[in-house]
Amino acid sequence: MDGLDEPSSSFDPRTITRPDEKLMTYYIIVSVFTIFGFPFVLLALFIRYKTLRYRIDDEGVSMSVGLLFKKEVLLTYRRIQDIHVERNIIHRWLGLAKVSLQTASGASGAEMTLEGILEPEQLRDFLYTKMRGARGEQATPIAEGHVPPADEALQLLHEIRDAMAANQAGGAA
Amino acid sequence: MSDEGPSIRHIGAVERVSERFYTGLWSILVRWMRVPQDPPNLPASPGDEVIAIHPSHGFLRYLKLWFWIAAVSIDLVLLVLWIVLLVAVPWLGIVLAPLWWGVMLVPDIVAYIAIHLRYDTTWYVLSPRSMRLRRGIWTIKEITLTYENIQNVRVSQGPVERYYGIAKLQVETAGAGAAGPHGTSVANVGIVEGIDNAEELRDMLMARVRASRSTGLGDELHEHEGHRHAGEMWTQAHVDALRQIRDLVVAAQ
Repeated sequence: MDGLDEPSSSFDPRTITRPDEKLMTYYIIVSVFTIFGFPFVLLALFIRYKTLRYRIDDEGVSMSVGLLFKKEVLLTYRRIQDIHVERNIIHRWLGLAKVSLQTASGASGAEMTLEGILEPEQLRDFLYTKMRGARGEQATPIAEGHVPPADEALQLLHEIRDAMAANQAGGAA
Repeated sequence: MSDEGPSIRHIGAVERVSERFYTGLWSILVRWMRVPQDPPNLPASPGDEVIAIHPSHGFLRYLKLWFWIAAVSIDLVLLVLWIVLLVAVPWLGIVLAPLWWGVMLVPDIVAYIAIHLRYDTTWYVLSPRSMRLRRGIWTIKEITLTYENIQNVRVSQGPVERYYGIAKLQVETAGAGAAGPHGTSVANVGIVEGIDNAEELRDMLMARVRASRSTGLGDELHEHEGHRHAGEMWTQAHVDALRQIRDLVVAAQ
């Protein structure tokens, strides 16, 4: 059952493999706010920016980050519980957004946070159409009086057999 | 669709001025703070009705009641202190008067405007399958969840909320919950507060949850799939009937 508006053709989520360059600008602004921690925070964020990789394919989303300590998160679309999009004022000035995905694990916080996304609406709608319950596969209960195909097939076979038996009996007579 | 635009209603001159001020403030928000004016868009199947609503107007009055209670009680204390100062050291009281009154009134005005902004930036977009909620001014947060993933629905209403005919509806998914204020979990909860048809919405959501045959944990519809496969399978009875047909055909030749 489809019919959901497909995300606009110009947007292909598979092309999102890295955060946008503006994320580095955002990281610089954020590290400036830490005043004394500036060089350390900036270095950590720079490494994060340089090593962030996203992969959005037919089955799910994966993300990896880290240089010395590598971290990789993989999840499938079907397991997404909710999608969050967050934009603070600096994000909005830069045109960025943070898209967080939650699964039903016990972790305190989103399982995956995709930072530096330029087209959060399109990405979110793409993920949404892949989520459970978005397309209403559920809303088709078996109608009353509907005969399962196997039973119907059996009934048909019986009818054929009876008809042939009757024909044969008629021919023999 | 509920009413759009600023929530201040125009009645008299003061209201007209404040409305103009508020409209100006909105244009600043939209232009400089990039606050989106339109409700978030939720993709839906054709024929599915999507509604985008603000909280009920009762919610605005409810927030303002608390505002007045807080403002009046704090300002009364400050006013009494100022009068005491004025009586004790008259010149100091007069010198400090502008500052003192500023401290008394400026936060009130800011808070009053913030209430309206909070109201106007809160959007609840509901489709027959999912909901998308937006709130926030500095940080705009949007949560999208499908009813299929709902674990439980909670409705809460205090006495004051009951007076204004509003209630708060919380929808929880199995998503990871981050610790919020007061030790509550917030990340996986869709909070729809200040609505006047909470019961209606609750019944609709619970009907959907009951109708769902999965647990909302990403599981496929095993029961449904299994049934379909069983329906396509041939049983011994089918094979027997086919054998009989074959025998009849052979005999006929």
